[in-house]
Amino acid sequence: MEYAEQKIEEHRITSQPFYLPQGDEVVIARAAYRNRLPLLLKGPTGCGKSRFMQYLAWELARPLITVSCHDDLSTGDLVGRFLIKGGEAVWVDGPLTLAVKAGAICYLDEVVEARKDTTVVIHPLADDRRELPIEKLGELLLAPPEFMLAVSYNPGYQSVLKDLKQSTRQRFVALEFRYPAAAVEEEIVQTEAGVDRELAHTLVKLAAMTRNLKDAGLTEGASTRLLIHAGRLMTDGIPPRQACQVAITEPLTDDHEMLAALDEMVRSLF
Amino acid sequence: MDADAISERLRRITAPDVLNEWELEEQAATVAALPEPLQDEVLRHYQAIWPVSHGLAALFLHHLPQALTCLAPEQLGDWTKAALAAYEQHGLRGADLFLAETEKNFLCRLRGESALPFAAALPRLRPYVHALAGPLHDLDLAPATSAATDTATLFLPREIGLFKEERQNFLLYKLLASLLWAQVASGTYRWAPAPTADLIQEVAARYGSRPDEGLPALIAYFRLFPQPALAEELFVLTETVRLLALLQRELPGLMRDAAALFPLLLAQRPPFPEASDQASVMEQLKRHLIGETKVGDANNPAPPALAAAGELLLPLARAGTTPADTAHAAARLYEIIAALPGPYQATPPLPCAISFRPAEALAVRTRRQHEEKTRFITALAALLPSAASPETGETGEDRPPPAARHQEADTALLLPGLAETEIPRPTVLLGQGLETVTIDNQSLALPPELQRLGQRIAADLGQVPPEYVAAAAGLAGSSYHPHASSPITEEIVIPPTPLTYDEWDFRRNGFRKDWCLLHEKEILPTKGTFIETVSRKHRGLLLRLRRQFEMMRPGERFVRRQRDGNDLDLDAIIEALADTQAGQAPSDRLFVRLRRDQRQIAVVFLVDMSSSTEGWVSTAIKESLFLMCESLAVLGDTYAVYGFSGMRRLRSELYHVKHLDEPYNDLVKAKIAAIAPQEYTRMGPPLRHITRLLTASDAKARLIVTLSDGKPEDYDDYKGEYAIEDTRHALIEAKNLGIHPFCITIDQQAHDYIAHMYGEVNYIVIDDVRSLPNRMPEIYRTLTG
Ligand SMILES: Nc1ncnc2c1ncn2[C@@H]1O[C@H](COP(=O)(O)OP(=O)(O)O)[C@@H](O)[C@H]1O
Ligand SMILES: [Mg+2]
Repeated sequence: MEYAEQKIEEHRITSQPFYLPQGDEVVIARAAYRNRLPLLLKGPTGCGKSRFMQYLAWELARPLITVSCHDDLSTGDLVGRFLIKGGEAVWVDGPLTLAVKAGAICYLDEVVEARKDTTVVIHPLADDRRELPIEKLGELLLAPPEFMLAVSYNPGYQSVLKDLKQSTRQRFVALEFRYPAAAVEEEIVQTEAGVDRELAHTLVKLAAMTRNLKDAGLTEGASTRLLIHAGRLMTDGIPPRQACQVAITEPLTDDHEMLAALDEMVRSLF
Repeated sequence: MDADAISERLRRITAPDVLNEWELEEQAATVAALPEPLQDEVLRHYQAIWPVSHGLAALFLHHLPQALTCLAPEQLGDWTKAALAAYEQHGLRGADLFLAETEKNFLCRLRGESALPFAAALPRLRPYVHALAGPLHDLDLAPATSAATDTATLFLPREIGLFKEERQNFLLYKLLASLLWAQVASGTYRWAPAPTADLIQEVAARYGSRPDEGLPALIAYFRLFPQPALAEELFVLTETVRLLALLQRELPGLMRDAAALFPLLLAQRPPFPEASDQASVMEQLKRHLIGETKVGDANNPAPPALAAAGELLLPLARAGTTPADTAHAAARLYEIIAALPGPYQATPPLPCAISFRPAEALAVRTRRQHEEKTRFITALAALLPSAASPETGETGEDRPPPAARHQEADTALLLPGLAETEIPRPTVLLGQGLETVTIDNQSLALPPELQRLGQRIAADLGQVPPEYVAAAAGLAGSSYHPHASSPITEEIVIPPTPLTYDEWDFRRNGFRKDWCLLHEKEILPTKGTFIETVSRKHRGLLLRLRRQFEMMRPGERFVRRQRDGNDLDLDAIIEALADTQAGQAPSDRLFVRLRRDQRQIAVVFLVDMSSSTEGWVSTAIKESLFLMCESLAVLGDTYAVYGFSGMRRLRSELYHVKHLDEPYNDLVKAKIAAIAPQEYTRMGPPLRHITRLLTASDAKARLIVTLSDGKPEDYDDYKGEYAIEDTRHALIEAKNLGIHPFCITIDQQAHDYIAHMYGEVNYIVIDDVRSLPNRMPEIYRTLTG
């Protein structure tokens, strides 16, 4: 038990994360929390979903346990398993169980990456039962009111084999995240990357240009995250054009002509 | 690397073939003699060439040392590519010649002794312009004699060869494209002062002229001056100053790079000693624009007119100026210049200057306004609740009695009737940000496409005119009636066993039952050389695709926690032990088993064979299909290929290339080669048919991939909103049955409607049709990866 407590403390967010709201998401998330409804965050990568969860956890003063999903994630990885310690079998809670017990927020990032048979364990937690069966222990955990479940996924261009099932999605309050409005994004980039207003402005302009090419050569435009990366490199003394190249254009695509065109945009702006 | 290590690499590259020992030694020695950093790259190129032609690979190494005496290391890749191209075109001998005469055949090109053609700049420029312009302006690019725009197309020179370096020539292309974009974005052609405007009155009074309202505003303006050509030149010059300043603010990097070109342009510009004072001041102004700072000297002081002109131009560099400011300044400049001794002689335009096409711009604008108006009104009308219409008697309209059935003209049912004035109209208001529409106090969100369209209209006209909204409300409130007296325009021959399909009519929110007949047809295979040519042309790509698709092949993999299998699952055993210790019944799934996964994917490629695909498009589609089939042959997914076309609802045609369960063979290839543009694009019937086919398949994932070049459209009234809504509905029907539709389109305008039809993430617009063969397999990989 002590061990678990110590572990959960690691997940507390003690200082206020920097978060600029895009719209009403904070208000809605608070209401969802009060009403014990789980959250589904939709949006392209790097647009602030994880940061939003950190902020929410801080505001609600709950620990935040994040699980990055992948196709090898098993139910045991989420719920827990027996391990042998000193010749004895010891039950160790998985992150989901830990979160339920501690009344924490459990955030399953990129939930579509998980196999469908794994995703079903969250079903009874995500409806009004709010319970987590632990088969191995023959226990049924009832989530305390403080517990919240949140999942994220990117509805963008992806494999048809990976789609969120209706039976899963229809349990959530869904918040759509987009790239922040230009003024907001500028402020984010300025704060996070330590660049001046003008540089932030130009970076956001570059992002807008790349986003114009979504589905016309690019799978997705540059995310806020990439802008911050470029900005940080610039703050560290890398020349702007080069910083954009390594932090923005190269990560976006491997197509040589598209890279050349993106590079022209960078060279026009910087 | 030493010669031995290199020999070993070469041996591995050429396996399973074996080189002669002496050949191997010689080649290894060649590579070993190269500077260390180059060796690896050379071996990589060698490896790429080897599967294409062993002989070429040998020649490549043979000529390499000589070539490297004049080739920069970073040109090696291009040189290799050029050698491969020479081989493709002229065979081994041609490649040999090319490689032997590198200095003559290759370097001179990159050294800028010949120009950069438009086509070579296009792949970089097109995405650049699209990114710059964003969704508000659809800008196309086309070659022409000089840089200009009609606001729909940016015309750029056929080639630019003013500079030695390719990079510099490209930069000029980029500068011109950016200037033209700035011209479109800042609305030069939208300047249309009323004949009563102060400036017009003033100029007309000064020269005793009268504005001609029948002309495009700019032309009418130039004609107010005694020398319209001078007025035009001054206007263009002034506007260029303004636009360059705009670029300086918006794209400072571009202008910094471009500044390096200006001295070169200046140096190239011939002097004009014989010029009149008028022409000489004009020339000075032009030189100013590209950075001439030297204005006269002690012997030859700058004319006061030049200083005055400079004063006039300065304020145009400020932010917030408009074409109206340009017009003002041009009129003042005209006064200054015209006061000098003439005659006015036109000096050559600056290479970085744009010319004007006001008449064409007006035509484009009129056409676009009309189009956007119609689209906006019909799209908005479709959103509004339609008033109950007493006219729509259902009797016999949806399903005509068999006798009457084929007598009815196709167009009849889709014409809007006259608006019924007594039908109460809802009050409709557009929200500020164009995100909502308010109907009788109820707010409704506008779909993104309509928002975008509204924004475009607002950008053009300042706002969405209220009469558009009123017209939409009227259209929604009115009913549609058949045109009873439509003449029979087509004799209809009914082939043996066509299939009937319903069609969705969005305006009545219901199906027209058994409205379309779908005929299945065979494509006559052709014997031509298409397949052979394509295999040769895309040899490299084919190899790469085979490799990529091979990697996607469901390899053998271990599945864990099986009841029995090839090996023990250690994790499971440990867990079972732990469970036993804990007093739990341990699991009996303790084995790993080697399993070959099934991808279980069934996909149908549906190819638009409408006449609009004629030419390039059709070829690119065929090439892509062939490459796709070759790739799928490696992967083993189940797939089918059909083409579709037809004319009118009673003759929708589906062309069979390959059924789902049919093997891929030469016959299929010959049919792909024979795909040829036919008639129109009625999307509904083929989609519904394919959906029916796919529901019978038990694959885990079922896909329809359509390849198209534009909107659905038939000869009759199957167009616009109606066609889009029917297609959309057919796709929804498919989705409801668990089938994933996906569209690959090359229609640049597709963003307006295609997301509505296919859903936000289920389509991709290909920028350049030539890249389709490259992109399609890649898209398929992503889709099913
Ligand atoms: N609204 C926001 N407020 C503050 N920072 C933000 C915001 N949106 C994005 N960021 C920044 O962008 C980065 C990437 O966002 P992140 O939350 O990791 O994206 P996601 O989880 O959606 O992939 C964050 O680390 C943060 O620096
Ligand atoms: Mg994240």
